[in-house]
Amino acid sequence: MFQLSIIKDTVAVQPAQFGLPPEQAITNDLNKKYANRVLHDVGLCICVFDLAEVGEGKVRYGDGCLWYKVIFRLVVFRPFASEVILARVKSSDEDGVRLSVGFFDDIYVPLVYLPEPTAFDSKERAHFWLPGSEVTSSHELLDSALTDRMYIDAGDVVRVRVESDEFHDDEPGPPKAHEGVQQARELRRPPYTITCSMSEQGLGPTSWWRNAGVETMDEG
Amino acid sequence: MEVLNQRSALLSNYEVLTLLRELESDHLARTKTALRIKKEEEAAGLPPRQQAPPDDVCENLRTVEVEAIQYLSADFQPTASQTPEGISQLTRNLAQWDLTKAEKLQIVNLAPTEPVELYVVVEELEDRFGDKMDDMLNTIKASLREAATPAANGDEPQQAMQVDHVVYSEFQEDYQGDNHWDYDANEVVFDDAGEGAGIEGDLHVEDD
Repeated sequence: MFQLSIIKDTVAVQPAQFGLPPEQAITNDLNKKYANRVLHDVGLCICVFDLAEVGEGKVRYGDGCLWYKVIFRLVVFRPFASEVILARVKSSDEDGVRLSVGFFDDIYVPLVYLPEPTAFDSKERAHFWLPGSEVTSSHELLDSALTDRMYIDAGDVVRVRVESDEFHDDEPGPPKAHEGVQQARELRRPPYTITCSMSEQGLGPTSWWRNAGVETMDEG
Repeated sequence: MEVLNQRSALLSNYEVLTLLRELESDHLARTKTALRIKKEEEAAGLPPRQQAPPDDVCENLRTVEVEAIQYLSADFQPTASQTPEGISQLTRNLAQWDLTKAEKLQIVNLAPTEPVELYVVVEELEDRFGDKMDDMLNTIKASLREAATPAANGDEPQQAMQVDHVVYSEFQEDYQGDNHWDYDANEVVFDDAGEGAGIEGDLHVEDD
């Protein structure tokens, strides 16, 4: 779920920080720049792991900062495809389930990756699974007895498999002269989304499988 | 900025948690020292400083740090019962089976103690390790610390200090109960092993 990425960058240490040991000041600056941000095609940065290489601090014309060329290792959140992770259900809607791991919550389980057969109960605002049922249409599913339904409620801890992840860079380009200032803000996509699946034996809310022995596995 | 190597190594959840806890305790120590210095200065009757010392606390880092610690030390994670020694012992023991790197990492992260959980993590578990599954589960169980200690250290140390005294007596009482529970768990494991052998036999017949 976490990885180390090696990154090269140039940081400016403000004169006010000259009292600190240089590595401390550089680490602070790097954390300020990267922590809790999404790097395109890398992942969500957590914090600096260590500094691998630091060049000589140089003063440039125009400011009093010391500029360091740094190669450092960064702790990045980027679960790999097919990795199994634990997460909490944040919310559910007609399109699927949204999960959260606390520090990151653009994790989605679309309908196709929910266990078969499932239906969305709009009264409870939650999806439910009917294990062992043959019916497929959502009408028939919604007619089922409440006791047979296994709900995926908000706040449940679920075990999911990462299927894919996507990065979007929706930086607005430079404002165009003929459009003027008023610019309709289009829907912003999250910069990093993870798509997960729970359509497998053993996946889904952990409470479903807590006491399931080998017998359950034989069905699948 | 230039990304030299996007994925130079993979980290286990426990490693990240340790790193974040260190950062957190560093930060708390620094805040405390700053507070103490301020108080001493006030007590000495010095005029308050014109310019507060530059506070290099980074909001983003604090946010992600606290939230990640919360997630990684949540009660559904096995990190509370893991130790560095246990994990290194586990990885050494896992080397005897032909597991991929990703599978080993997930075993360390999730510490599956039930067959269902292991099925999810290891691909084609039955074909590859049909008869070694129980050994594997026992190895993982052995790497976990028996009783989960109150892992509040990282969350809110000031509160945890106060709570510790209260919890202590309960914890001792629980100890007896925990022992019983452990024995029960072991018994179940042995039962499982028996059943499992029978079922595996059946499966082999089916395969043929």
